[in-house]
Amino acid sequence: MKRTSLVLGVALTALGALFAYTQGQKPLDPFEEAMRQRQMYLETFGILPGELYVEEGKELFYRKGPSGKTLEACDFGKGPGVLEGVYAILPKYFPDSKRVEDLETRIHTCMQKVQGYKPQEIKRDEVRAITAYVASFSSKARMQVVPKHPAELAMYNLGRELWYWRAGNRDMNCAACHDRYAGRRVRLSPLRSPSQGLGSEWPAYRFEADKLYTMQDRLAFCYESIGIPKPDYYSESYIALTVYILAEATKAGHSFEELPFFTR
Amino acid sequence: MKRKGILVVGLLLLGLGLSQVGPFRARLEAAVRDGGTEFARVMLAQDKAQALCSQHRDRLPANLLPTFLAEQRALIQYPEGGKLMGDWRKGQEIFTDPRRGNCYACHSGDPDEVAYGTIGPDLRGYGASRGQGEAVQRYVYEVVYNAWAYFPCSLMYRGGVQGHFTPEEAAHIVAFLLDPGSPVNRR
Repeated sequence: MKRTSLVLGVALTALGALFAYTQGQKPLDPFEEAMRQRQMYLETFGILPGELYVEEGKELFYRKGPSGKTLEACDFGKGPGVLEGVYAILPKYFPDSKRVEDLETRIHTCMQKVQGYKPQEIKRDEVRAITAYVASFSSKARMQVVPKHPAELAMYNLGRELWYWRAGNRDMNCAACHDRYAGRRVRLSPLRSPSQGLGSEWPAYRFEADKLYTMQDRLAFCYESIGIPKPDYYSESYIALTVYILAEATKAGHSFEELPFFTR
Repeated sequence: MKRKGILVVGLLLLGLGLSQVGPFRARLEAAVRDGGTEFARVMLAQDKAQALCSQHRDRLPANLLPTFLAEQRALIQYPEGGKLMGDWRKGQEIFTDPRRGNCYACHSGDPDEVAYGTIGPDLRGYGASRGQGEAVQRYVYEVVYNAWAYFPCSLMYRGGVQGHFTPEEAAHIVAFLLDPGSPVNRR
């Protein structure tokens, strides 16, 4: 058994070297590079950075708020205390808050309404970690964002409008890159359209930034890179765009990556 | 008399109705404002051309094209003295700088630069194959200054119109693409 894997290992290395040799001038593939970095992390530390955020998020999830409650009392879409697969069905409409919420917004809402925190007491990094923890229960889950409630349909329509909304001194919108040039590269970064599964990798640890990025963080990064100031966190633009992107990815039958993902 | 009164009230109501923004548009603006003042300020400052591109999902219907193109053409300013090819070294800086031209995000240029995007046309050897004739210079200058005067709603933003570079600097970029001495045209 051991010998087989050794032989296989040598054969793979040789194949890899041959590939590298024949490719020569080929620019670095960001996805391959991320997987290489991920492997290095595993070999060096025995743990991935995303797992550290998940651990931190778990502690925060079971921390009692001013009301004496933990986030176990929060309904994330499948009833209080249920975490399995909830990330894959969000954003959705919540009758208690009367709005469509994605996971981070839902956490933000429950920390106030269930746990009794004041908005200014809620740290963004804590919401990020809790998002990583809850999302880890939907690792590789099939996406199931299907707008049905009128408020969800309204958010989908708003998201589609924002997707095409050209603004700022770079004259940009999302569609001009992600739809029209899906499969091509911005510098070295490959572009994906929603129907190609855009959004499947968040929340993720980005080794270039050495930070955990949630879907809202990633959308904020997009806006800033096209010369538009990022919206305030938990605001409707994020939720609308997320509904639109994930609903389109759901239609095409995509699943989430290992969550939290490891990426550049 | 009574009939006239009804007509006046009706006209007033009609006028009021037409002057209101639609409910969807109002809802959209509310969602944008929810993102904070800075985000809303930029998003709601769409100019007429950006609004048309958004409305038509970046594919303008044929009947709107002549006006759109004419309006974009009118926004192009030229360097004093009319020299459309400047200094390729200065052009290279603006072409490369991510906060200015940021051209490598979508295009190749200098063959030695490997971190280039593949969205726009490959510009390696651009001048070597086209020469530096007056018509070529003018075309490149105008596309660099305002791409929407040729390609309506293209991803390529209107660098000159939006103030990312001056007319003189646009001419430097033209030189970077056309000048035989520029690395773009190096053999």
